[in-house]
Amino acid sequence: MPRHSRKTTLSLITAMLAWMVLAGGATAGQDARSILKKAYDNWRANSSFAVVEMTVKRKNGVRKMTMKSWTKGTDKALVRFVEPARDAGNATLQVGNSTYVFNPKLNQVIKLPASAMSQSWMGSDFSYNDLARSQRVLDDYTHKLIGTRTVKGRKLYVIESIPKKGRPIVWGKQIITVRADGVLYSVEYYDQLGKRVRVMTADKIGRIGGRLYPIVMTMRRDDKPGQYTRIKTISAQFNIPIPAYVFTRSNLRNPRD
Amino acid sequence: MMNTIRIFAPLAWRNLWRNPRRTLITLVVVSVGLWSVLAFNSFLNAWTQASKDTTLQLLLGQGQIHAAGYMDDPGVETLMPPPSDGLLKALGDKRINAWATRLVVPSVVQSEYKTLPVMIVGVDPKAEGRVSSIPGKVVEGRYLNGPDDDGVVIGRHLAERLKTGLGRRVILMSQGADGLLAEQSFDVVGLYDVDQQTEDYYVFTGRTAGQKFLRLKDEIAEIVFTIPKDQDLAPVIRSLKAVAPDMDVRSWKQLSPFLAATNSFMSGFIYIWLSVVFTLMAIGIVNTQLMAVFERTHEFGLLQALGMKPRLVLIMVTMESTLLIGLGVLIGMAMAAASIWVTSDGIDLSGFARGLELVQGGQVLYPKFDAGSFVLFSLVIWILGIVVALWPARRASKCSPVEAMRMAT
Repeated sequence: MPRHSRKTTLSLITAMLAWMVLAGGATAGQDARSILKKAYDNWRANSSFAVVEMTVKRKNGVRKMTMKSWTKGTDKALVRFVEPARDAGNATLQVGNSTYVFNPKLNQVIKLPASAMSQSWMGSDFSYNDLARSQRVLDDYTHKLIGTRTVKGRKLYVIESIPKKGRPIVWGKQIITVRADGVLYSVEYYDQLGKRVRVMTADKIGRIGGRLYPIVMTMRRDDKPGQYTRIKTISAQFNIPIPAYVFTRSNLRNPRD
Repeated sequence: MMNTIRIFAPLAWRNLWRNPRRTLITLVVVSVGLWSVLAFNSFLNAWTQASKDTTLQLLLGQGQIHAAGYMDDPGVETLMPPPSDGLLKALGDKRINAWATRLVVPSVVQSEYKTLPVMIVGVDPKAEGRVSSIPGKVVEGRYLNGPDDDGVVIGRHLAERLKTGLGRRVILMSQGADGLLAEQSFDVVGLYDVDQQTEDYYVFTGRTAGQKFLRLKDEIAEIVFTIPKDQDLAPVIRSLKAVAPDMDVRSWKQLSPFLAATNSFMSGFIYIWLSVVFTLMAIGIVNTQLMAVFERTHEFGLLQALGMKPRLVLIMVTMESTLLIGLGVLIGMAMAAASIWVTSDGIDLSGFARGLELVQGGQVLYPKFDAGSFVLFSLVIWILGIVVALWPARRASKCSPVEAMRMAT
């Protein structure tokens, strides 16, 4: 083989390698977002109806509540508590950027001001913002696949999501792990110094409503050990037709279901 | 009368020192009492002045101008346009030291750990430095560079509560001009250190940056102004009201009724103290003088038996107390003057700074010598002292010679 041609082959291989690395990097970047999108789509579906049990553990005891939730698309959600009697009837409606709360004792619908959006939702470790904006993570952050992990023989993608510049987001970053089969496994929230603030984990993943789903999810705050909020999906249906009236303020006040 | 005084004055003076211990006790009571009134008065005045100055220099200024309705409901709906030409001219008057415009609206600040209500204050840093002391109290980082600086300067205590710090992002949320939620991330560029209440409540950014955040054009919330030290505030307020009749022009007394109330309470408080001190002093004086009169019954009896009229006995004893209390008053004044002179360089209370914030005190007090109150309080104590001492004196004049001389030996 002539000498010059060997040189050419070598440079060709180098070029191909370089291209593969670059392209691989690019697909990884693209991948991270699509992995997340898939996980979130799986989590919320186009529409859903679910019966969910929420357990709030505090220093002075445990509180259990049962609620029904309806979602449609990414910006419509209604949650209504059915048990215990004390909390029954409380409901939260989220349409676009507005969040409304109905309290049967006051018999009044309140539109939450921006200042209240970061307050605790029904005494849990979730804020109204967590309810309203779980989807925003997709567009407000840049996602990067930083590795894979294996837990109980299953492959997990570890994705680092860093807020885009100028977006109104307080977190320094989120580390999101997604199972290879597209189920959200955990979300860790870090402050801007890189210290973890809170973490949400899927404690049980199983088949519900015809799809793999994080059936039990727990939110914990690192500065409050021993406290948590656990959300357990009891039954769920996905991609079912939900009438438009469900997400109205009149339905919030006077349920028709 | 003059004759009587000439005869009795030396007599009374000598009588005083016939029992030096008793006289000294009364002297101490009077002088320490008066000293406490005078020194306390000057300390209180210094305190009031310092806390007033501190508060006014923070943010309040001597007065502020708002759109009508802003004070009742501060927000994007009750703002006003920048000062008109007429108002600009009035603000340029030499009776006004400096002025600045601000955008002040309620907002919510959010960190990774906490969400807290605050007031966001958009300032023009250059003008702000002339009316407010806060730009000079930045302890970490820097103050804002210009009206379009979109960093925020927050209080040190607020930063602690938010668990955030220099160089980190916080989110500010408020109602935008269009009625919708405005939220934006701001970098913390500086921390300021004043009193805790202010630190927790006010977050500063550039004025233009604030207007952009709230989707406003050039509206402002307030004009704050200061006046020279010797200038009267009332005429300034009147002339500003004249050029801006549809606006809300207020003096600091109306803006901060609490401060105004503290101010007037402090000046009234000295009279409460004066009456307490005087009551104690009166008990001391009456007690010792009554004792003295009782012990000297024999003497008064003898004097009257020798032909001295009861009126003259009364005059003599009154003169004794006049001299005694007068001397005490002089000593008290000297002591007070000395203690004011010693502390006139300033009493530095910065060691108690965090505690003082609760009562909004200044950190360095400068007690001043005030001749008017010195003379007034001294005279009051002296005259009242003589008045209460009339009781023992009257008693001395009332004793009958026969009984007195029999009782005594």
